Amino acid sequence: MHVSWETVPGFLHEREEHGETTIVVELERLGEAALHLRDELGFNFLADVAATDYLGWNERPVAGYWGSGTGRDINRPGSWGLARKPEPRPERFSVSYHLLKLAAGAREAPRVRLQVWCEDGDPVPSLISVWPTADWHEREAWDMMGIRIEGHPNLTRILMEEDWEGHPLRKDYPLGGEPVRFSSEE
Amino acid sequence: MAEVERKKRLADYGLHSERLLMRRKEPGVFERELGDLEDKLMLTTLEKAVAWAQGHSIWPDTFGLACCAMEMIAIVSPRYDVARFGAEVFRSSPRQADLLIVSGRVAHKMAKPLRQIYDQMLEPKWVIAMGACASSGGMFGNYAILQGVDKIVPVDIHVPGCPPRPEALLEGIVRLQEKVIAGVPPAYEIREVAS
Amino acid sequence: MAVVERAKIYEGTRIPSPIPTVLRVDPALREEGDILQVNFGPNHPSTHGVLRLIVDLNGEQVVGLEAVVGYLHTGFEKNMEQKTWWKAITYPARIDYLSFQYNELVFVLAIEKLLEVQPPEKATWMRMLLCELNRIHSHLIWLGTGALEIGAISMLWYCFRERDAVLDLFELVAGTRMHTRYFQTGGLAEDIPPGFFTECRKFVDYFPRRIDEYEAILDRQQIWLERTRGLGLLSADDAIALGQTGPVLRASGVEWDLRKVEPYLAYDQVDFNIPVYENGDVYDRYKVHMDEMRESTRIVQQCLDGMPEGPWIVDDRKIVLPPRDELHTSMESLIHHFKLVTEGYRVPAGEVYVAVESARGELGCYVVSDGGPRPWRVKFRAPSFVALEATATCMSDALVADLIAIVGSLDTVMGEVDR
Repeated sequence: MHVSWETVPGFLHEREEHGETTIVVELERLGEAALHLRDELGFNFLADVAATDYLGWNERPVAGYWGSGTGRDINRPGSWGLARKPEPRPERFSVSYHLLKLAAGAREAPRVRLQVWCEDGDPVPSLISVWPTADWHEREAWDMMGIRIEGHPNLTRILMEEDWEGHPLRKDYPLGGEPVRFSSEE
Repeated sequence: MAEVERKKRLADYGLHSERLLMRRKEPGVFERELGDLEDKLMLTTLEKAVAWAQGHSIWPDTFGLACCAMEMIAIVSPRYDVARFGAEVFRSSPRQADLLIVSGRVAHKMAKPLRQIYDQMLEPKWVIAMGACASSGGMFGNYAILQGVDKIVPVDIHVPGCPPRPEALLEGIVRLQEKVIAGVPPAYEIREVAS
Repeated sequence: MAVVERAKIYEGTRIPSPIPTVLRVDPALREEGDILQVNFGPNHPSTHGVLRLIVDLNGEQVVGLEAVVGYLHTGFEKNMEQKTWWKAITYPARIDYLSFQYNELVFVLAIEKLLEVQPPEKATWMRMLLCELNRIHSHLIWLGTGALEIGAISMLWYCFRERDAVLDLFELVAGTRMHTRYFQTGGLAEDIPPGFFTECRKFVDYFPRRIDEYEAILDRQQIWLERTRGLGLLSADDAIALGQTGPVLRASGVEWDLRKVEPYLAYDQVDFNIPVYENGDVYDRYKVHMDEMRESTRIVQQCLDGMPEGPWIVDDRKIVLPPRDELHTSMESLIHHFKLVTEGYRVPAGEVYVAVESARGELGCYVVSDGGPRPWRVKFRAPSFVALEATATCMSDALVADLIAIVGSLDTVMGEVDR
């Protein structure tokens, strides 16, 4: 996008890969950044709020060839089969807000990913006043990942039962289930 | 008095599930076991008549959960017509239903309503666990899904598949009918729920 | 015959506050009136799956509403993190179990975006064809079950007759009726079997007449009109603020369809229209669904006419299995096969968000990869999850008899909502 993202309050840096733009802002100024994006830059539609847990990232190196249609790129170390670690992440959790500029009859859909990073227990400001649809998405982020949303009027569990303990999508939460018993074993 | 020559009706061939398609098939395991049970049970004529009536009018409850529910609704559709087996009236109230077809994955949050529905049904009542997720948790061996509904309700028939074709569910219903007509008691009288 | 005056779309906003998704009873009303709290579900006669609505009624009028979900939470996202990329493709189909191929499509497109691999033309066009057939399938079930709940019971049998025809086509091409798992990274899992195109053409030839039949039954039927017009109003601004997409948004007057705006697959090479209606009520959503079925049939026809020849999957052995006859002669093929089957292909590190226009709206998939053989994080943006957020807004001034009609018109699939 031609827009300069420097004007977004709390702007830290931006990334552009696979045709998508990600702007990272400071956690404390997320509310202002969201308002700026909605009012000044016109991103009136919040598509998704995705929380990711990076516990255990960058601990095991991954080796292997990465296929591409044009063959191997010998300038990338990973393409030789040597072990590589992905870039380290600053903090444990990232919350990504996928925004879209929705205009009736338009012929293009500018998208941007607004991302904040936080540690376990850091409060993330709620964006309900900016995009009302954030309500259930933030409840899901709290339920599944334990991201504490500050200022949410109804922060209760949405997918799990009310009295469930733990946050299932965290990396230190076990998958669960039970071992399969075969009839020939008894 | 001369005996009237009776035309062979479908019932004379035996409306047994496996022989609907393969006429000359020998009785399979299910039929043999059911035949043995029928001999052992030695029901009276009245009990047999009641069992025949019960078996031919099993009314399911609308308990559709997930993808299997789509195939369960499909058995009502004109192609796989379940009305010919007497089970087309899907009752919404469990108090009026005989059969609970658990169609779909049962989350732990849904386990309590499922047991409540089962308890609200009046005896005699039967349960079909439709699909892999209801029988054993299916492909979801995780924290959220109950690994088999036979942990909370006693199950009569398990129907495999993901989702089972409507014909497979129909076979399940027909086998249940045969069990009922043979006099086999419903699952809650035979076994406890699985541990 | 008096026709009920149709309620017009409202000005301003009707989103409740402080919680946008919960309609709270007015305290003054609670003191003077006789409020009855009724619990709808999770098991209820409406066929929309396990949704629980806690409804406060003042006589017949709905004055409070809260939706409780989570009764079908399956933990897809956590399960997919434990499987390799290839095996994880089986999971998404069960998320939205009515338009199952859209979920596979969006996940496979996300993997292909990370891998930067472009599937061949034939695979792209075939994916488009199957997805449009799936849209028809989803709308047919919506129409059948929606009409069943409002009282037009015979529509169920008509729609399911056509639905079986569509599922026969899926069975012909992929071997199973639902959850076909036909899309693979780089193309399709197998070549298109002979005979599929003839059968598909037969379907496309007779299907528009069937849509005419359905419209003839319902379009000007007095009871249908009275039960759907002027109900469940949602204005365009409210719809955008609440994150609605798909038929709900288009029925509120906003012309927005990802197939036109952000064309993926080969949608920029086929000709179709986007139905947009202005009144934002249940009747308009019904009209949008009917018109979309017609447009999908047109797209399928154009796909059949323009289907290119060629391979059905990309030729990159790092992500695609080699043909079996090569395994006898080539050592590299054997090694590739072994690595792909045991360990799986590796997807470069990164994060992507891919969105497609499924039958319910914008279905998005956010994938984070660490460069390994398994996904690090997969999140699906489910349109039904967001559609349920709009129930409280749509339900202002509704009677209890309209509750099911309005929830049905939002076209929710609980598998998607709860994932």
